[in-house]
Amino acid sequence: MKPLAGVRITDFTVHAAGPFCTHLLAQLGAECIKIESRLRPDIFRKPHPVYGRTEPSTFDQVSAGKLSVRLNLKHPKGAELARALAAISDVAVENFRAGVMARLGLDWAGLSAANPRLVMVSVSSSGQVSPDSRFAGYAPLFGAWGGLGTLSGYADGPPMEVRHMMDHAAGLNGTFAVLAGLHGRARHGQGAYFDVAARDVACASIGEYLLQAASGVAPERWGNAHPGMAPHGVYATAGGDAWVAVAVREDQEFQALCALIGRADLAAEPRYASAAGRCADRARLDVALEAWTSTQNAEAAAQALQGVGVAAHVSWNPQAIVDDPHLRARGTIVDFAMPDGGTRAVIGAPMRFSNAEAGIERGTPKLGEHEDYVFGELLKLSREERSLLEQQEVIA
Amino acid sequence: MLPLRGFRVLEHAKGVAAAYAGRLLATMGAQVIMAEPAEGCRLRHEPPFLAGGEVSALFASLALGKQSVVCAPGEPGFDALLARADVFIDDTPVAERASGPLDPDRISAAHPRLIYVSVLPFGAAGGKAGWKGEEVTVMHSGGEGNLLPNGLNLELFPGRAPLKMYGNFAQMQAGVAAALAALSAGLSVSALGGQFVDIAEQDVSVALSAMAVQRLGDGVLEHRTTRSFRWGGVFPCADGHIELVTAEERQWQGLVQLVGSPAWMDDPELSDPAGRGRRGPEVNREIRAWAAGRPAAELVAAGQAAGVPVAKYREPGEIVAGEHEQVRGLFAPAAIPGVGTLPVLVAPMQMNGAPIPSPGDPPVLGANQSLLAEAVR
Repeated sequence: MKPLAGVRITDFTVHAAGPFCTHLLAQLGAECIKIESRLRPDIFRKPHPVYGRTEPSTFDQVSAGKLSVRLNLKHPKGAELARALAAISDVAVENFRAGVMARLGLDWAGLSAANPRLVMVSVSSSGQVSPDSRFAGYAPLFGAWGGLGTLSGYADGPPMEVRHMMDHAAGLNGTFAVLAGLHGRARHGQGAYFDVAARDVACASIGEYLLQAASGVAPERWGNAHPGMAPHGVYATAGGDAWVAVAVREDQEFQALCALIGRADLAAEPRYASAAGRCADRARLDVALEAWTSTQNAEAAAQALQGVGVAAHVSWNPQAIVDDPHLRARGTIVDFAMPDGGTRAVIGAPMRFSNAEAGIERGTPKLGEHEDYVFGELLKLSREERSLLEQQEVIA
Repeated sequence: MLPLRGFRVLEHAKGVAAAYAGRLLATMGAQVIMAEPAEGCRLRHEPPFLAGGEVSALFASLALGKQSVVCAPGEPGFDALLARADVFIDDTPVAERASGPLDPDRISAAHPRLIYVSVLPFGAAGGKAGWKGEEVTVMHSGGEGNLLPNGLNLELFPGRAPLKMYGNFAQMQAGVAAALAALSAGLSVSALGGQFVDIAEQDVSVALSAMAVQRLGDGVLEHRTTRSFRWGGVFPCADGHIELVTAEERQWQGLVQLVGSPAWMDDPELSDPAGRGRRGPEVNREIRAWAAGRPAAELVAAGQAAGVPVAKYREPGEIVAGEHEQVRGLFAPAAIPGVGTLPVLVAPMQMNGAPIPSPGDPPVLGANQSLLAEAVR
């Protein structure tokens, strides 16, 4: 049994953060009904040239496990059917630009009137209430607005644009909001509406540095370094583009690292006996460590460092992740059967339960694949009514 | 009413991920009690520090609205707190849990309705369960570290090491996952009973980097040198940098208008997104020339008016004083022991059309010691 078995979601999301939010809920067992249309399909059903993708995806990670229906929300009858679906759902999630759902009559006011116990989450760039709420945005813009991108980057370079991880983090926060809302409903009997701003999620991820700034200290850009640990960074290893990330926190870890890399002289220097002393001379320690890592195989270096109690891991590319026995043993990477008879590696739920299941059970639905169930069984529309709605471009 | 009012959490954390999970639950109304060692939890001594250099901004930010007791696992008070809790959040390494007071089997037997949420760099099960992890190793083990930077940073420093994102991003998102997993398990307690929830920070990073694995399945091994936007990205301007992305055709048309429809944009090859991709460096040179010397505010206003997504890379001080943040009530004053009152970010969301109120101040060590006596009674 999955923990959210019995929870139904009306899913209006079609772009990145929103679909990731409902994807997690689907993996946790919720029945997620994805609303798209021929003219407004999920982004993965289309090419996306600016990202270098000239064809539709052959699999959509964040739509896997969902049910698909077509609805033209710009048609009054389409919006009416969406409201009817929300009325028999526990959750509604959307990530239109602010104001769109209100124009469609599908905002919190409209949907909660149909279902006062509904938990609704909106995920947008700047939130529903903001001087910038009308602004369009993508992950790098969230990072720019929210300061995360400003502080990321090489210490002597420009800001660094953050990518899809930022989108998905916004979705993850939306998932948390849904769960909090469902708990509130179970405890207090009321639905709730959450308005997640992706740029604020970027801010939240550097909350401690914003607090530091508020106290009058301007945060620095650190690259891979850390204000309280040294050595700390990503170091070249033998064999070209292969890197190992290393972080030395405790004094005894530094001693162990020095012994491993054959630099007992560094371990004996009193100034390196504390983290503060090591941080004050981090450049020299980085050189010493990289002199060793650059002669090592990356995986062997990480194993050796972990073996003496130092946090280390190879900077992995996607192929290494997919091939990793640890991630496969955890069910984080699973082989998934595709309709063409082949398999592909996909990402499972990032959580394991001792007493429950979680993960992907079905692949990406075809557009409108589940209309017999959703329109026929749930909304009780006859075949004739559905045909008429198709002729009227409501189901389209 | 906040949704988690009445929900009880015991937190035993020294890392960011577990503490952030507790912080999120506290923000939504849960009572979150930190069980700390006599010297205070490790986060109290971690950078970054507030002005003066002695008080941890990290701890103040993570402990907002929590309560503090000094109590060690194995002490009677600790189990009494567990007995009253709905959720226990713990980041003790696996080897230290075994056969001790934090052994999951022992806790499950003693507290059958408790949700025990384990938050570790590589999880509580699997070949690397015993591996140490820090933010930099987690982010690089999850894939995204290897894929950064793209765009301007890469152009300027092509041979440098791949980069993590700033701060504790990966650990914080693992904290979000831990919090939502705890609530998921909590919703099904009547059907499934209590249970052990295993969160690996690496797993969460991998999940958030899902696009890279999806692309791999499509036959494309992404790399930071090939993942840059074909056009758009980071551009210097008079007072900093802007980000500009045009992912849709109408946004490209807005960009044409924005930069004054110069003759080079009439090139037939640029009418097609694939052609723009091939000519990306050239397009970016022109955008760079357009942005250079102009203030960010002017560029952003003009861009957004033309339907082109543009944003300024804002400095932390600008954010704390920002109009958007004030309108949304993103920050609330908190009394920070040893420092005074400062604005602390509460939550990246509003609830029912209003800011979520601050859950309270960060506690001094042992501020709520009386809770132990109450629990033991």
